[in-house]
Amino acid sequence: MNATEAVRAVLNAEPNALFVASLGTATSALRAASEDGPHLYMGGSMGSALAAALGVAEKRPDRPVVAIVGDGELLMGAGSLWSLAGIRPRNLLVVVLTDGFYTITGGQPLGVPPIFADVAKALGIDAGIAQSGAEIGERARALARPALLEIRYDDRVWPGPSPFVDPSVVRWRFEARVSGDLSPDGRTASSSEGSG
Amino acid sequence: MADLGPTWQAQLAQALIAARIEIAVWVPDKRLAPIADALAGGGLRMRTLTREEECVGYAAGFRAAGGFPLVMFQSSGLGNSLNALGSLAVPYGLGFPLVISMRGTLGEENPSQVPLGRTTARMLELLGIQALNVRDPEDISAVVAGAVALARGARQVAAITLDGQLGKS
Repeated sequence: MNATEAVRAVLNAEPNALFVASLGTATSALRAASEDGPHLYMGGSMGSALAAALGVAEKRPDRPVVAIVGDGELLMGAGSLWSLAGIRPRNLLVVVLTDGFYTITGGQPLGVPPIFADVAKALGIDAGIAQSGAEIGERARALARPALLEIRYDDRVWPGPSPFVDPSVVRWRFEARVSGDLSPDGRTASSSEGSG
Repeated sequence: MADLGPTWQAQLAQALIAARIEIAVWVPDKRLAPIADALAGGGLRMRTLTREEECVGYAAGFRAAGGFPLVMFQSSGLGNSLNALGSLAVPYGLGFPLVISMRGTLGEENPSQVPLGRTTARMLELLGIQALNVRDPEDISAVVAGAVALARGARQVAAITLDGQLGKS
């Protein structure tokens, strides 16, 4: 399994969620898997993606929210796991793309144990590990929110789309997605979802 | 002298509530604590987060989702937040009021607070963030209203720096 296949499985399990993606692999994979859907892609701010997802989730408790974060990204903002455990938003799923490397900077190893699900469980957050598309779908649906799903993958092929997004375009499309003017595929108006 | 009115912290909280802030995320500070208490007392949701950078990330997400948050931290924490300001809040146009309790300037006795305190306004300026200083309680309502307009309307991160002259507590 590669990162794009992993994210595609998450999208299939949460087709109507608001997505936040950390810089690098997570953003490139979400762009590839969603055909550049109207999601909140981070072009920088490493370590802040989970914090941003907490903000989205608390502003829109009526909507499912998914944070797609890299493993290196989560280490840099690991304190946000404690905030997640303290705030406990009932609509947030955190997906950790775990391959053990800092891909965006050239593939340096993280050099830490890959125990994101265990750490989340210790904090009282429902958590699991998935290593295939089927496991991702099953666990993403079964875990009680807030939840953390550690996805382990070993095919480290680069997803493709550039992670250097245009911030103003990303913001405008995400705001339109939140307000219901854009559907998950970013193409058509969707009046039924954003009215809550 | 008798206490003849609300403290400057209570005035600041009242102005922020009147400006329809929806939530406040902060890292605790002695001078900010009475503001936080007054905000909570006024019915505002409060979130104490683990780091200043996290507050900026949270506020950026809350704003992107259609909300209007407030961030509060101490000047020493500005250094912790620079990357989130510079690569998320500023380029994405996700503006919010940012209340900074100034240390390291007037009356500071801790040497470790001085380098970040004396450079706070310049660091903000280099990132394109205007620092609106409050030195006199009489200026609070005008500065808060102006900063909120800048953040809400013009989508800017608008810093309100709380001068040492306001008092140490």
